Amino acid sequence: MNLARPKLVIEDLRLGHWSRRGGSFALACDGLSFEVAENEFIAIVGPSGCGKTTFLTALAGLTPVASGRLELNDAQIAGPAPDRSLVFQQASLFPWRDVKANIEFGLKAQGRLDGKGRERVAELVSLVGLAGKEGKYPRELSGGMSQRVNLARALATDPDLLLLDEPFSALDAQTRELMQEELTRVWQADGAGSGKTAVFVTHDVPEAVFLADRVVVFSSGPARLVEIVEVDLPRPRTAELKRSARFQQISDHILSLVMSQSQPGRRPEYDDDDAVVGQ
Amino acid sequence: MTTTQLSASSVRAAGRAQGTPGRRSRLGRHANLILGAIGLAAVLGAWQICAATGIVDPGFSSSPSGAFSSLVQLFRTGQIWSPLGQTLSIVLWGMLISIVAGIPFGLLIGRNKVLYGLTDPLISIMYSVPYVVFLPMLIFWFGIGANARLVIVVWSALFPLLINVIAGARNLDANHLQVSRAFCASRWMTLRSVAFPATLPYILAGIRQAVGRALIGAIVAELFMGSSGLGYFVQLKTSNFDMDDAMAAIVVIAAIAIVLTRGVAYLERRLTFWSGSD
Repeated sequence: MNLARPKLVIEDLRLGHWSRRGGSFALACDGLSFEVAENEFIAIVGPSGCGKTTFLTALAGLTPVASGRLELNDAQIAGPAPDRSLVFQQASLFPWRDVKANIEFGLKAQGRLDGKGRERVAELVSLVGLAGKEGKYPRELSGGMSQRVNLARALATDPDLLLLDEPFSALDAQTRELMQEELTRVWQADGAGSGKTAVFVTHDVPEAVFLADRVVVFSSGPARLVEIVEVDLPRPRTAELKRSARFQQISDHILSLVMSQSQPGRRPEYDDDDAVVGQ
Repeated sequence: MTTTQLSASSVRAAGRAQGTPGRRSRLGRHANLILGAIGLAAVLGAWQICAATGIVDPGFSSSPSGAFSSLVQLFRTGQIWSPLGQTLSIVLWGMLISIVAGIPFGLLIGRNKVLYGLTDPLISIMYSVPYVVFLPMLIFWFGIGANARLVIVVWSALFPLLINVIAGARNLDANHLQVSRAFCASRWMTLRSVAFPATLPYILAGIRQAVGRALIGAIVAELFMGSSGLGYFVQLKTSNFDMDDAMAAIVVIAAIAIVLTRGVAYLERRLTFWSGSD
C-alpha cells in the first residue's frame, strides 16, 4: 500500500443526526481517524447499527460532517459530487427504466451521456454479466441481477471513489458468494491499473476479508475506530481462498474484535444481529 | 381489471392483475362479459315487454326498440353530430386545461412542504364539496356561455386530478430520491426523471377519475345553462316529450363515458406496465 499520498483522509471525524423532537444531537461516529490509499479496497465492519452506513453516506456527501476532516483528493467533502458513486443496499433501481437506462442514469444526471458514455455503458453491461438483458425492467430481475445493475450504474460515472453499502446483504447465500467474486473480478477489470478506490460497508466478516485490502473495524455506536486489519492475501482472489488457513485466521481475529464490541451493555434482543456477524 | 374506483390502491391492483394474466382470470373475464350481457338483455327485455304490453306508457318511458330506432335516425339525419361534437370538445378542452394545470401544480405542491401545508385544506374541501353546488354562483360570475361551461368542466375535473398527483408526488420512494441526489441530478432532472415517472400511475388514475367527472360537469352545465351539447339535447327532447330521442342521446353519453374511461385505463396499462410487483 502506498500511503505516501492518501486518497482519502479521515481525521477526528464526528457525524450524527439532529433528532427532530427535542433537537438533541445523536452521535453516529466519533473521533474517527484513518487514511485510504489510491486504488485501495477498504471494508468496514462493525456491530449492527454502529454508524457504518452513516459514515458511508457522509463519504457520499449525503450526510453533513459535524466536525473533523473528511477529505477526498485533499478537498473536504461537502456534498454529492461526480467523483463518488454509491451502490445502494436496497433495490434502488428505477422501475420505469430498463437495465440500460438505469445504468445510464448517473451519466445522464451529470450531462455526460454522449457517444463515449454510451460506449462505457455498453462495456459495463457485458462486464457485470448483463449482456442480452439491457431491455429488461427491474421487476423482471432477480436480486443478484438487480445488484449487478446497481453496481454498473455506480461504475458508469467512472468515479474516483466507489462506495458500497451492504450491497449483497439482501441476497441468498449462494448468490452472495457469486456476487463477491463478481465484484472482485469487476473491480480488478474496470479502469486502468488495479481498480478504483473502494469503501465497502458490511456486517459479514468473511465477505469483508475476501474483498478488502484492509478491514476497518468500528466499535458499537457511536462508532470509534477499533482496529485496522491488513488482509495480506494475494489477488486475484477466488472462492478457494476462503478455505485457506490464513483467511480463517484473519476472519477469526476480526470476528472476535466485532464480537467483543457487541457484548458489553448489549440487550438480548440484539443477539439476532450478532448471529449474522458470526455466520 | 375494469375497476372504476380511483384510489391509489386501485392502481396497484390493476397493475398486479395485469402482471399475471393466467388462464383462469381470462376465462373469468369472459364469463363476466357473458353474465353482464345477460343482465343487460334481461333488463332491456323486461322494459320492452312492459312498453309493448302497455304496462308503462312508451310515450312516457320510451322503449328499447324506440330508443334504438331513434338512435339510428339521429345518426342517419346527422342531428346528433353537432351536440355530440359540442360535448366532446368541451370535455376535451376541459381535460386539456386540467392536465396542463394539474400535473405541474400537483407535482410542485406534493414536493414542497410549505405549499402542501398551505393548499391541502383548500384542495381537500374543493374536492369533497359537490361541485354542482357552485353552479349558481358560477353562472352568476361567468354567465351561461361556452366559457362558463368550460369553467365548470375544469372545476369538476381539476381537483380529483390534483389530489392524485399530490398523493403520488408525496409518496415518492426516499431511496429513489437519494439515488438522484447521490448522482448529482439537478432539481429539474429529479422532477422530470424521478418524480414524474414515479407519479405517473397516480397521474393516470387521476386522469381516469377526472375524465369521468369532466363529462358529468359538461352534461350538468349543458342541462342547466346550455344552448347546445348532449345535455341540452336531452333536456330539449324531454321537454318536447320526445322520449325516444332523449333516451338515444343518453345512450350516446354512456358510450362516450365508457370509451373515455376505458381509453385512459388502456393508457394506464401501456404506460405503467413496470409498476406491476414491488
